[in-house]
Amino acid sequence: MTLRVRSFPEVLLSVENISLAFGGVKALTDISFDIRKGEIRAIIGPNGAGKSSMLNCINGFYHPQQGSITYKGVRRSQMKPHEAAEQGIARTFQNIALFKGMSTLDNIMTGRNLRMKTGLLWQALHLGPARREEIEHRREVERIIDFLDIQHIRKTPVGRLPYGLQKRVELGRALAAGPELLLLDEPMAGMNIEEKQDMCRFVLDVNDEFGTTICLIEHDMGVVMDISDRVVVLDYGKKIGDGVPDEIKKNEAVISAYLGVSH
Amino acid sequence: MFYREAGQFKISYSADMAIFPIAQDRIAVLAIVAAAFLLMPFVATEYFLNSIMVPTLILALAAVGLNILVGYCGQVSLGSGAFMAIGAYAAYNFAIRVPELPLLVSILLGGVVSAMVGVFFGIPSLRIKGFYLAVATLAAQFFFDWLFLRAGWFTNYTPSGSVNAPRLDVFGWTVNTPVERYIFVLGLVCVFTLLAKNLVRGHVGRQWMAIRDMDIAAEIIGIRPMYAKLSAFAVSSFFVGVAGALWAFVHLGSWEPLAFSIDRSFQLLFAIIIGGLGSILGCFLGAAFMWILPIFLDIALPPLGELVGWTMDKATVSHFSVMIFGALIIFFLIVEPHGLARLWSIVKEKLRLWPFPY
Repeated sequence: MTLRVRSFPEVLLSVENISLAFGGVKALTDISFDIRKGEIRAIIGPNGAGKSSMLNCINGFYHPQQGSITYKGVRRSQMKPHEAAEQGIARTFQNIALFKGMSTLDNIMTGRNLRMKTGLLWQALHLGPARREEIEHRREVERIIDFLDIQHIRKTPVGRLPYGLQKRVELGRALAAGPELLLLDEPMAGMNIEEKQDMCRFVLDVNDEFGTTICLIEHDMGVVMDISDRVVVLDYGKKIGDGVPDEIKKNEAVISAYLGVSH
Repeated sequence: MFYREAGQFKISYSADMAIFPIAQDRIAVLAIVAAAFLLMPFVATEYFLNSIMVPTLILALAAVGLNILVGYCGQVSLGSGAFMAIGAYAAYNFAIRVPELPLLVSILLGGVVSAMVGVFFGIPSLRIKGFYLAVATLAAQFFFDWLFLRAGWFTNYTPSGSVNAPRLDVFGWTVNTPVERYIFVLGLVCVFTLLAKNLVRGHVGRQWMAIRDMDIAAEIIGIRPMYAKLSAFAVSSFFVGVAGALWAFVHLGSWEPLAFSIDRSFQLLFAIIIGGLGSILGCFLGAAFMWILPIFLDIALPPLGELVGWTMDKATVSHFSVMIFGALIIFFLIVEPHGLARLWSIVKEKLRLWPFPY
């Protein structure tokens, strides 16, 4: 049941014939799809289908052996993770990758690190440009903290926070970078229904208010079908379906991948 | 009851970002610093200033440097003794070869040379981590121990290998008496500690901590590991190098390479582990623990022995002092593995609520 029918003419990122293998294990085989500007794109598939590997290719963490990725009209072969970050790709992780010893505030401030430019000397003095920059970014970060409703845990070390809040802080850190493309790896894994609802609301709001393009991996079919504009389905490293949720629901190959077929 | 921040509202981000956001802390720290500058010189004996305050402060500064690397950036180093030596010998060579340079500049240049060498020895950290990195930095320790012992140029070809610090002239002020030495060291340590604190709370500090806590995630949000790690090595070695120059010039006066042997590296590493990794306060507590406790034990043991009717000779005292010192290290690590600084923050948390249980 897709309530929102929206159209997205402009392609932000396109993946062409990507193949990735680890030794003899083929994680991805000849995958092509695109992510359009402003949409919420979901990648689904059974365990081990290659979804996370796909995200890792997009943000430069893995280097596929074949194929190419075109982002904002620029085709690239190899790219380092921090270069992807510099070009506006941010992500969260399946198993939370926060900086456990730092407070919520510091974690989200780290997300803005690419935009902070003052030199070591000014920072050591904590005067002039360094101080102004720190305050200016603090203001932005406080907006994100308000948005995610985590004011009360601002100064708490994230290692002490419960799982659901950690996921939210991680989303905040990714948002702090002000990304154009946000990759979310199972943002709702392990959450109860209320936490899932909250997280869905955040994802939709980010997409609506900031106009951020979102590519997410999710296992909860209800969530995927409700919030995503288009869905890619992977199975054993191959693409078996691509389209709007209603099409995906009727796709034979997808149904058999998820439910199994009788031979 | 006394330590409560109720009613202290922050109305600006800069007030919230202050080093001591709580008024009581600010007052206490100001009082301590004021007492250290104004009161200590008048009440302390020369022995106390020379053998306790000055070395503790310099060791604390070196510990601050090492803590930036180990505690904040998570890169284990066993080469801090070597970097102290580099700072000391570089400052010495600047001072004797370019006599026009003011002393303070030589000391700072010693730190700069140490920072450059630190960056070089930090390069392995881009590939290796943890214990393996510790072994790689150990190479720096052995190499420089050897270099300063064997290469005569660094010691200006003094036959004994022992060199004398130049006269301590700071812009016309001759640092001579114990009080002057103490004030000189205290001033520098205060300034450098403030700089270090600013760095670790600024965005480079966050980069270091991000690398420490999870380097892969740090890279994915756009932190370049090379810059973060090498800048930590540079800043850390700079602080350690300056501390080394002070140790040689102000504390020792004349020294040989043995002063900066691997024992010094271990002493600093233990100081920050006991004091608290990733805490500036911890550096001071740890340095005080490592330097003052053995001296205290040496002094306190004989009278204690007399109490139970046992006259200890010197050797027995030093044996016992080492044993008790070791036992205390283990005791503190078991009670609070995160160091004295964490112990202090727990005390503060309790003080906020006192006299109520919660």
